[in-house]
Amino acid sequence: MANSLGFQGDGGSVLSMEHVRSLTDLQDLKEAYERLCAEEKDVESELLTLLGQQTIVEKKMLALQRMGPNLQLIEGDAQQLSGMITFTCNLAENVSSKVRQLDLAKSRLYQAIQRADDILDLKFCMDGVQTAMKNEDYEQAAAHIHRYLCLDKSVIELSRQGKEGNIIEANLHHLQEAEQHLKVVVSEKFDAATKSGDLPQVERFFKIFPLLGLHEEGISKFSGYLCKQVAKKAEENLQLALGTEGGERRAALIFADTLTLLFEGIARIVETHQPILETYYGPGRLYMLIKHLQAECDRQVEKVVDKFVQHRDYHRKFQQVQSCMMRGSSTDKIEPRDLDPILSEVTLMSARTELYLRFIKRRVVSDFEVGDSMATEEVKQEHLQNLDKLIKHCLLSCSVQELIGYYITMEEFYMRESVNKAVAMDTCERGQLISSMVDDVFYIVKKCIGRALSSSSIDCLCAMINLSTTMLESDFREVLCNKLRMGFPATTFQDIQRGVTSAVNLMQSSLQQGKFDTKGIESNDEAKMSFLVSLNNVEVCSENIMTLKKNLENDCNKMFSQGLGGEQAKAKIDSCLSDMASVSNKFKDLLQEGLGELNSTAVKPQVKPWINLFLSVSHNIEEEEFNDYEANDPWVQQFIVNLEQLMAEFKAGLSSVIYENLTSLLTSLIAMELEKVVLKSTFSRLGGLQFDKELRSLIAYLTTVTTWTIRDKFARLTQMATILNLERVTEILDYWGPNSGPLTWRLTPAEVRQVLALRIDFRSEDIKRLRL
Amino acid sequence: MSMEDYDFLFKIVLIGNAGVGKTCLVRRFTQGLFPPGQGATIGVDFMIKTVEIKGEKIKLQIWDTAGQERFRSITQSYYRSANALILTYDITCEESFRCLPEWLREIEQYANSEVITVLVGNKIDLAERREVSQQRAEEFAGTQNMYYLETSAKESDNVEKLFLDLACRLISEARQNALVNNVDSSLPGEGKSITYLNCCNFN
Ligand SMILES: Nc1nc2c(ncn2[C@@H]2O[C@H](COP(=O)(O)OP(=O)(O)O)[C@@H](O)[C@H]2O)c(=O)[nH]1
Ligand SMILES: [Mg+2]
Repeated sequence: MANSLGFQGDGGSVLSMEHVRSLTDLQDLKEAYERLCAEEKDVESELLTLLGQQTIVEKKMLALQRMGPNLQLIEGDAQQLSGMITFTCNLAENVSSKVRQLDLAKSRLYQAIQRADDILDLKFCMDGVQTAMKNEDYEQAAAHIHRYLCLDKSVIELSRQGKEGNIIEANLHHLQEAEQHLKVVVSEKFDAATKSGDLPQVERFFKIFPLLGLHEEGISKFSGYLCKQVAKKAEENLQLALGTEGGERRAALIFADTLTLLFEGIARIVETHQPILETYYGPGRLYMLIKHLQAECDRQVEKVVDKFVQHRDYHRKFQQVQSCMMRGSSTDKIEPRDLDPILSEVTLMSARTELYLRFIKRRVVSDFEVGDSMATEEVKQEHLQNLDKLIKHCLLSCSVQELIGYYITMEEFYMRESVNKAVAMDTCERGQLISSMVDDVFYIVKKCIGRALSSSSIDCLCAMINLSTTMLESDFREVLCNKLRMGFPATTFQDIQRGVTSAVNLMQSSLQQGKFDTKGIESNDEAKMSFLVSLNNVEVCSENIMTLKKNLENDCNKMFSQGLGGEQAKAKIDSCLSDMASVSNKFKDLLQEGLGELNSTAVKPQVKPWINLFLSVSHNIEEEEFNDYEANDPWVQQFIVNLEQLMAEFKAGLSSVIYENLTSLLTSLIAMELEKVVLKSTFSRLGGLQFDKELRSLIAYLTTVTTWTIRDKFARLTQMATILNLERVTEILDYWGPNSGPLTWRLTPAEVRQVLALRIDFRSEDIKRLRL
Repeated sequence: MSMEDYDFLFKIVLIGNAGVGKTCLVRRFTQGLFPPGQGATIGVDFMIKTVEIKGEKIKLQIWDTAGQERFRSITQSYYRSANALILTYDITCEESFRCLPEWLREIEQYANSEVITVLVGNKIDLAERREVSQQRAEEFAGTQNMYYLETSAKESDNVEKLFLDLACRLISEARQNALVNNVDSSLPGEGKSITYLNCCNFN
């Protein structure tokens, strides 16, 4: 506060003079006076403090005055130091420029020495080449030329300008002549060596080309030599193949074998000559060699494939197959079995091709890896793309793609025809749950996909998986559908036993009987068996599909682990296989439909009347009748016997899984139907007890026929029995609501009242009064 | 289906003559680029793109096929499981348009009867070299009950629209099918009619 007042302009106060003058009111004047007094007090105290500080300030001033002379001394020193620094600086500048000059001199000296060396080298080369050439020591001569070619061209230029310029000029001329001469000689010698098939000489001159800077020419010439060898061997092999007698061991695979020999030959050449190439031409040049070799390979492949097509009648067979597939039966029908050899041979040809191409790819890629280690990313990519294009679009690839294209159609035909046969010859031995065609069909599918897999072509494999999926999903499933569609006939015996139930049932059964009229009772049995077998077949199919899928997955993983195919291939196969797996579910759906059909035509019409008999047994009974029931069971025992008989046939004829399914449907049906009749009956106290006994027997029996728990399905009925067994209406409260304990009520309060009302001895007012 | 991280899965197969731009369309849509000189497709290529439409994840499995004759038996094997086919031709190449009936015969023979087919005229960036007028293509598509769209894989024209519209159509189709199936299906054991007459129903 004091501070802020103290800074109020030149000693002035908060209250200006004018303001004080203008005051007229006493009160205001008083206030102003008081404020001024307070102000005065503050100013006084401030003055006192300031005065108190006076001595300290004076002391400080004294100290400062004493420091004056010292400062003058320091200034002198600083000036001296600055002079010294300037001097040192100049000195350093001087020294460093001298050092720079020295450096320059040194590097010039080095250059001079280098040039002297080079000139000496050049001389040495000039002399050396001539002697070497005279001695036909071409390696030596080439080494000299190489040295000359590596020399700095400016050095040569300088040497020419020197004192001995003329001599050097002349020598240089000789050297260039020698170079040209050597090139010609080496080329001629190489050709001669090639002609005479002198491998050591061929290799000798092959090594010389890169010394003369003729890498491409060397590789191209050498490749020419190698290609000739490939061609010669290939022709021999093809002739041998064409001369093979039909009975010989691998006669059926002779073209695949010929192709294999061709590939092996080329692979061997690569193996043998890659080291020389790498040593003398440096890494990264294998691609060039391979490109030449592949051109020859393509030429030879074309011949082999042509002969294959011609001798195996490949195209005509394909056309025949195609017309069979288009028009169904054709005049010249092909036996699928007759296609076996050719299908095997084509897949083998494809597999060998894949193997060979993978070998080539691996080799060239790793050669590029070394050769391109310093190259830019673009160059690397370009090299790899070139390789990729070479492999993908070479005639070999195209030819095999074409063969495989035909193969797929023929394999599909083979599969369909074989499946048709298996279906036509379908038999079921007595005592067998499934018929022959299921195993047969899956054997065929496995064989066909397996053969496609053996081609090592991912697209071929995927196509066959797709085609198999289609065949199973539509054609074969249709066959089983048709069998199931014939229905499960009711027997005459059962008809009699059932009695006249309903007009609808009668009509239905007679309609179904009509189908088998011509064959009589025995064929009726057959029709029943056929239906059950078909159900089993459907189930086994859905399982087999999953097994097939799993096995194929394993096979493919094996293939991948051998380095075949990449991520893309994996994704394709996965997708195709998952489509196949989804067909399994369609068979499961079909099974459920068939089971539903069996349940509604063979089980329900029988079981319902048996349950309805419950209505003819009075549960409004007294002691005497209760005891009588005890001695002569009126309903449940016969019901159980009937069920036993009914299910015996299914137990014998159905797989355990399906039988379980059917018993599950049966128990649901019983629970539902029994509930209906109970709600239509009336009960005395003892009638309730009787029902409880009956229900227990039934549940006990049904528990023995199924492994699934059926308690749950009978929970409502069990609770109804509990209610019907009560002493009094209000006793229900011992089990209801908070008293229910572990029991979960499946009956609604309304249903509880409804069941209570079935007891003739319970009064409806009591029931109404219940608070549930 | 619900186990995976998508609500719908559809298979789309691209067919049409070699060189009309199928691979470019797929790459443009799935990778957002126009590939320089990648060479003809061998067999079939397979790509996946998941798109979101109105909050639902749709996984599109796109099969790009080779147009050459020698791959026909491979590519044909994919028709049946396709939910949609994109039949592509090149608007600057009359020949590719004239081959369409041949492709339609293939579809007729191998594809699911419920398959959705879209006719696509590609390379509209080359308008000055157009050989097939839009009207002609539209009329043709109309007679064959196909949707028609013109695209440029190069300029990214209508590519997104092509696939997304197709996805929308597939969703509504799938919904309709689910409805029909639910009405039809009766509980096992309660079978009123034998329903396994429709063996090859659309999945
Ligand atoms: N100008 C132009 N060229 C395209 C377009 N789409 C593809 N191309 C070119 O057409 C050629 C064949 O394309 P590609 O996708 O391989 O055809 P595909 O055989 O049907 O798969 C390539 O050279 C592409 O660059 C486009 O929309 N505009
Ligand atoms: Mg393509």
